Amino acid sequence: MTREEAIDRINELLNSTDPATVNTSMRIPRALREAAALAVDELGVAPSATVMAANALRSLLEATVALANLELHYEEYPQFRPTLADLAVVAAEWDGSPLAQQPDLLRRYAEEIVQRHPHAEPEDVVLWAEAREYTAAEQKKDAGADPADQQGAA
Amino acid sequence: MSAKRVVLLDNEAVQALRDPAHRKHQRVLGEVEVAFKRAVRTQRVRVAVPSAVRVEAGWDRTSPAWAFANRFPITDIPLDTGHADAAASIVRRMGVSVADAHLGAVIQAAGADRVTVLTSDPGDMRRVAEGRRVDVVAL
Repeated sequence: MTREEAIDRINELLNSTDPATVNTSMRIPRALREAAALAVDELGVAPSATVMAANALRSLLEATVALANLELHYEEYPQFRPTLADLAVVAAEWDGSPLAQQPDLLRRYAEEIVQRHPHAEPEDVVLWAEAREYTAAEQKKDAGADPADQQGAA
Repeated sequence: MSAKRVVLLDNEAVQALRDPAHRKHQRVLGEVEVAFKRAVRTQRVRVAVPSAVRVEAGWDRTSPAWAFANRFPITDIPLDTGHADAAASIVRRMGVSVADAHLGAVIQAAGADRVTVLTSDPGDMRRVAEGRRVDVVAL
């Protein structure tokens, strides 16, 4: 089975309306099962631990299949693979960060962060950029402050 | 568990996703990648397309031409009675397309904490949202 066929088959199964259920022999840690039961009973996060587990598994499978689909596409069209900086711009835009309007700055910080963290995520770049910009602004403020004020504060 | 963020596609976002020759293809791929990466991490992001948008874009899920787009878990939001009423009202008052009116109806009725719209027409999206908070991402 090719990866493409696997993706199609997983999607087909996820879209299935077949209500049949199976008892699985899947073993999960006892503590995890107890935590799930407590979340259902005490926090009301789902009607049952089974529903919660099935929903979580479905969400994870859907998103994982989507990323696998993208990966296949990038293998075929490598020119379309967004850079970490491109994705950081998207993340900044989504989170309402003013840095979304400064893509060149995010590009510079993306290059900087991958030197030390090759697997950095787009959100890491945004956070790193915000922290660096904040620090730079504070330093500029301190440098511009009246020396007499600084003495007084000391 | 309801989605914390729903990401909606407009007509051009759909077209750009499907077609590698579209000038905004890479841009939309980046948006989709961030959406599904966040979905893996938080399981609370959903990507969806109002059915009127799908019609306008010509997205036929049975057509091989749409195979790439079909492999994403992008949910259809049907034009049900409630959405049809709201969309009809939007069309009457604003004179926008049926697809944009359906987007407006979906934005206004969305139960998610945040609604993000990928669109080539940010002005129209803000208009049809009619005050509902929406993150408009201009393609």
